[in-house]
Amino acid sequence: MNDLFSNLALGFSTALTLPNLGLCLIGCMVGTLIGVLPGIGPIATITMLLPITFNFDPVGALIMLAGIYYGAQYGGSTTAILVNIPGEVTAIVTTLDGHQMARQGRAGVALGIAAIGSFFAGCVSTLVIAALAAPLVKLALLFGPAEYFALMVTGLAFAVVLARGSVPKAVAMILIGLLLSAVGTDLETGGERLTFGLTALTSGIDFAVLAMGVIGFAEVLNNLEAPEQRALAKAPIGRLLPGRDDLKASAAPILRGTLVGTALGILPGNGAVLGPYASYALEKKLAKDPRRFGRGAIEGVAGPESANNAGAQSSFIPLLTLGIPPNAVMALMVGAMTIHGIIPGPLVMTKNATLFWGMIASMWIGNLMLLVINLPLVGIWVKLLDVPYRLLYPAILVFSCIGIYSVNNSPSDVVLTAIFALVGYALIKLGFETAPLLLGFVLGRLMEENLRRALLIARGSFATLLQRPVAAGLLVVAVIVLLAAIIPAVRRGREEVFTE
Amino acid sequence: MSEPANASGGVVERRRAIRSSQNFVAGLTLLAVAAIALFATADLGEGRFYAVGPALLPRAVATLLALAGAGLVAGGLMKEGDMLTRWSLRGPLFVFIALVAFALSIRTVGLAVAGPTVALISGAASPETRPRELLLFALLVTALSIGLFRFILHLPIPILIIPRLLVL
Repeated sequence: MNDLFSNLALGFSTALTLPNLGLCLIGCMVGTLIGVLPGIGPIATITMLLPITFNFDPVGALIMLAGIYYGAQYGGSTTAILVNIPGEVTAIVTTLDGHQMARQGRAGVALGIAAIGSFFAGCVSTLVIAALAAPLVKLALLFGPAEYFALMVTGLAFAVVLARGSVPKAVAMILIGLLLSAVGTDLETGGERLTFGLTALTSGIDFAVLAMGVIGFAEVLNNLEAPEQRALAKAPIGRLLPGRDDLKASAAPILRGTLVGTALGILPGNGAVLGPYASYALEKKLAKDPRRFGRGAIEGVAGPESANNAGAQSSFIPLLTLGIPPNAVMALMVGAMTIHGIIPGPLVMTKNATLFWGMIASMWIGNLMLLVINLPLVGIWVKLLDVPYRLLYPAILVFSCIGIYSVNNSPSDVVLTAIFALVGYALIKLGFETAPLLLGFVLGRLMEENLRRALLIARGSFATLLQRPVAAGLLVVAVIVLLAAIIPAVRRGREEVFTE
Repeated sequence: MSEPANASGGVVERRRAIRSSQNFVAGLTLLAVAAIALFATADLGEGRFYAVGPALLPRAVATLLALAGAGLVAGGLMKEGDMLTRWSLRGPLFVFIALVAFALSIRTVGLAVAGPTVALISGAASPETRPRELLLFALLVTALSIGLFRFILHLPIPILIIPRLLVL
């Protein structure tokens, strides 16, 4: 316990330096901004800002990128409540009751309870991360390459099942990511693989280039197609602070939402997405009168809003302790870490203690900042919805071009990104979600390395994966998870969760 | 995040031999990618005993990919699902040209020209663009990014190059 506090003290002393506070604030502001704007998600934004952070100190860079992610959860709910447009996927549930509350003239209360719930959830999940970190790292250090490989396979299996959309398509995207990760010079033999004789590919595909093209630019192309959604009626906000009755009604949902969100956030594959759905379903089940839901029930805002924020933060746990990114946003964090020469894994906590604890402390500080930025400034954020996409996207492109060019000062990287943008657009058109591709790409190298090391230790015998109990157990879990997703009853349940 | 567009418009009712053209084409694409990967790794060693060769993982992945592709093709023939929607050409085309134009101009004439070029060419990608408004905005964004990248972040990005006269 003492350890925990001295670690947190170290974290706060890192996070409270002026540059880091500034970057945290920028991250939270940018996060809120893109959370408010529909069509620009945290994945695309972090992708676009990734190149710029190469010039920062690594702690500051990660603090800022993390701020974007959880900041977006706050921003996303603002538009969900006020104009019935979920700024983020994670805020879709909030539109159900949040916007109804706004229509009844209680927009301010809904915003207030969403912010309070998010803040509470953020505080709790920060503590959970801090508390779970040490034991998980101890566990991770016992893992050999075989266990690591098995763990990553299990992670990917969960990622497939918990993601939205079709299972075979998600599997295919992960496989393509794995395949792309193999492009370049083979680490052990030095031979070229899948480079098709192109020198631009001999050192492998650059993570920033792939992410910017397939995720960032492809999203722009996709948005260009859809006619712009216009927020028509804006309800008056009303008073911001919830009354005593509202607080009383929301206290339990906030607590439950936080727990549900934190637990689901740790699972690979979904981060903040599944939590709000689960929390909404739970509140509806527990309610004395479920018919109130969908008609402005405050529990329907308090629970899910706490859950999405808790999930956004607890999804950092597998990354920070095991070095395994559970979803695409965390895969981007891995990208940011490796660029700064930090190898994600259990050693980060001891070797880069300031980074580790600084990031955790910054999350709590960030949540406090968000509370302050969001409530009083809500009017300004909503005004931003008036900025039309026709101006937004050229600015995004200019910024991203400079960013991607600056990574290696290489114009050919920009061209490669342009090609990946077309690939990403085609994938979207074919009904693929591109986020798992990124996850597969990042995990691909790690998986191959660990698999080959495991086989080397076991003298080339694949049986080693099944003879080591932990590895075998993890692989069995992976198979069960994948099989379960195909069983009709489970599949129907999964669809229900996402359609409600 | 972007949601896959629902089946509406696009390829309409052509005696539905293919129940989901989207899945069908997606599957074919995967098969093609798998085939290319298998072909390209054909001459690499898979390795034996003590060490796994460089081709093992890519070939295994490509095989699985082919299976997934075949599954999607079969599903596209048998199960109802989304049909392909219309692919727009305008957006991807102009954005692509804009990006390539940036790549060509950043080192030769500098950001002060490359920035507005990207914004203006990409502006043609949207039917809603208003040229004069965009031009003003493009100059503003470029000025801001010069300030940010060159003067705050100190990146070695050329701002303006006029051959034999000026390098900023």
